[in-house]
Amino acid sequence: MTANTLLSRKFNKLLIANRGEIAMRILRACHELGIATVAVYSDADRNALHVRYAQEAYYLGPSPASESYLRIDKLIEIAKESGAGAIHPGYGFLAERAAFARACIENDIVFVGPPPEAIAIMGDKQMARETVTAAGVPVVPGTDPGTDEELIAAAQEMGFPVLVKATAGGGGKGMRPVFDPDALPDAIAAARREAKGAFGDDTVYLEKLIQGSRHIEIQLLADVHGNVIHLGERECSLQRRHQKVIEESPSFVVDEDLRQRMGAVAVAAAKAVGYVNAGTIEFLLDKEKNFYFLEMNTRLQVEHPVTELVTGVDIVQEQLRIARGRRLRIKQEDVKQKGWAIECRINAEDPYNNYLPSTGTITFSRVPTGPGVRIDTGVFPGYEITPYYDSMISKLICYGETRGEAILRMRRALAEYRIMGVKTNIPFHQHMMDSYSFMGGEFDTKYVEERFRMDEREANETMAAAILATLLAHKQSQQASQIVAPGARDTSNWKWYSRWERLRQ
Amino acid sequence: MKYITTVNDEEFIIEIDHDDEIMVNGVRYDIDFQQLMEDGNELSLILNKRSLEAVAEERDGLWQILTLGELYSVKVQDEYSYRLAQARGEDAHDTGDAAIKSPMPGLIVSVVAEEGDVVAKGDKIIILESMKMENELRAPRDGVVGHISVAAGDSVEKGQVLATIVDAGE
Repeated sequence: MTANTLLSRKFNKLLIANRGEIAMRILRACHELGIATVAVYSDADRNALHVRYAQEAYYLGPSPASESYLRIDKLIEIAKESGAGAIHPGYGFLAERAAFARACIENDIVFVGPPPEAIAIMGDKQMARETVTAAGVPVVPGTDPGTDEELIAAAQEMGFPVLVKATAGGGGKGMRPVFDPDALPDAIAAARREAKGAFGDDTVYLEKLIQGSRHIEIQLLADVHGNVIHLGERECSLQRRHQKVIEESPSFVVDEDLRQRMGAVAVAAAKAVGYVNAGTIEFLLDKEKNFYFLEMNTRLQVEHPVTELVTGVDIVQEQLRIARGRRLRIKQEDVKQKGWAIECRINAEDPYNNYLPSTGTITFSRVPTGPGVRIDTGVFPGYEITPYYDSMISKLICYGETRGEAILRMRRALAEYRIMGVKTNIPFHQHMMDSYSFMGGEFDTKYVEERFRMDEREANETMAAAILATLLAHKQSQQASQIVAPGARDTSNWKWYSRWERLRQ
Repeated sequence: MKYITTVNDEEFIIEIDHDDEIMVNGVRYDIDFQQLMEDGNELSLILNKRSLEAVAEERDGLWQILTLGELYSVKVQDEYSYRLAQARGEDAHDTGDAAIKSPMPGLIVSVVAEEGDVVAKGDKIIILESMKMENELRAPRDGVVGHISVAAGDSVEKGQVLATIVDAGE
C-alpha cells in the first residue's frame, strides 16, 4: 500500500512548513544530519528564530495562518523554487491534512509523515473507530452517527453519562458530556452547531463517558519496510480545555505488562492503516486499567521530548531517516525506558486570572540551564506574542533518575526561569509541582479543571518584591534629580579620560 | 526618604536614607543593591546576607517584579504622593469605576451580564475569542455593571474598554 502512495527517498534539503519552537526542533535535527533547511515565514515572523537559523528563508504571506502557514499552493511553490526535496509539516497547521501530504507527493516532494490515506482514515473519528476495531483494538463503547432520534434512543440503551462527539472533531470542539437524559437533545444540537462551525460537518455520534479516566498515549515509529515499534507511553492527563499542560514519561500507573499490551495494540492500530513515520495512539485508561483507543495523531507531538529523554531516541531524526527510505535502526526489544522526564508547557497566560492569554513583547528572557534541563523554544527578547498563533512560549523538560528527582529538578528550573513582558503560567506549574496529588500521581483528565485551585497558592515573596521595587523607584528618582542638577559624577568616562590624557602631556 | 509600597493589598513602610541600609516597617536591614547594566532591569539585592534576584519593569505606573517564578505588581509612593492621594480619596480599595478592558485583540462571542446587574468579583461578564480560544473576562471587583460598550460579534482592539463596574447605589 505504502509503496504506491508515499514517496520516500534521499533528500539533502528540506522545507519546514511551520514556525515557532517546532520549526527550531526540526531545523536542529536537519542540521545534525547535514540536511539544508528552508524556512518560511509570515509578516509577523520575519525576525523569528527559525528564519534566522535556517539556511534559506522565503516569505509566505500575511500573518493570519490562513494566508500563510495554511497555504498549500505557496508552500509547494517555494519547495520547488528552493529545490527542497522534502517537507516537514511539524504539528498543527497542515500536519494532519491529507490534501497537503497528497500535494507533496503529486509534486514529487517527500512528505515527512504518513501516507495521505492513513491521515484521512485517522482524521475521521468514525472511520478510525471502524478500522481499528476490525484490527482488534478496543474502543470506547459507542454508537454510529445518526439522526437526533436515533442517538437519543441509543443513549437510553447504552446508559448515561454519555459523550456527544463530532466525527470530524478535535481539540474538544463539538464535544459535550451529558449526565442527564433530559439534557441530551440540547447537547446534540449544540455539538452539531459547534462542529458545523469549526469543521463544516455536523455529523455526531455518542460514546460512553468514562469517568475518572487518564489520558495515556503510545509513541510509534514505522518505516516504509513494514517495521513498526513503540517507544512506550506518555502520561498526558493534566489538561485544561482539552489542551495538555504537563506531560511525563513513563506514567505513574502503567507497569511493564500494561505497557507492552498497550504498545502491541497501538502497533496493530498503526498497521491497520499502513502507517509510516512517527505517530501517536491516544488511549483512555479507566480506573480498572482497561484501555480504549481514543484517536491517532498522525504527526509529531508537542510532548515528544519526554519520550526522547527516557528512551534516548531522537524522534525527529528518526522521522527524517524514515522519510529517506531507511530501515528503523532499533528493534522493539532494544527500546528501554530509563529514568523519568516531565514537560511543562510555558504559556503566555495569567494563571491567577482564569488563564487569560497575555499578549505583548517579551522584554527579557533567561532560561534555566544545568543538569537534566532541556528547553525547546522559539522566543527571545523582542519577540512579540501575537493573537495570530498559539500562546506557547516554550517547553521546559526536566529529566531525573526517578520521578521524585524529575519533580525536584522541575521546581528548581521553574524558579530559575526569568521571562518578562507577558504573564506566564510558571506559577501554575510551580503550584502543581508542590501539590500532593501530583506528587502522589493521583490525577485524571478532570483534575486541573475541577480540583486544582490556584487561589490556594500563597505568594510568599511580597516583602522582597516591595523592597526591590522601592529601591529601584528610589534610585530612579535620585537619578532624575541628578539630571536636573548635574554634579561631578555627570562627567562621562570619555571626557574624564581625555582630561586625564591632557594632564599627562 | 519614606515610601509606602503596596503589594497584593499589603502595605510596607520603607525608609531609604543610606546606600547600605533600609528600614522596613520599622526594622533595619543591611542592603547591597545592584542594578545590572545601565538601563538594565535585572536586579540583585543582598538583604541581611540573603541574596535576592529579580527582573523589573515599570508598566502603567506599577513596578512589575519577577522573582522565583512569581510576578508581583508593586505600587511605590513616596510619603508626599501617598498623603496627597489619600486626601483626594484615590486608591481607596474597591471603590470607583473599574473598567473591563480587552487584554488582546479579538472577537466578542457573547456578553453574559446586563447593564445594572449586581455582580461579585470573579463573575463572568464578557466572552472574548482570541488566540483560538474563548476567554472569560470577569468582574475585577464587586459592584454593578455600568455601561457595556460592545455586543456579540464586535471586533475589539487591545486595551479597549468593554464594560465598567460601578459602585452599587450610584
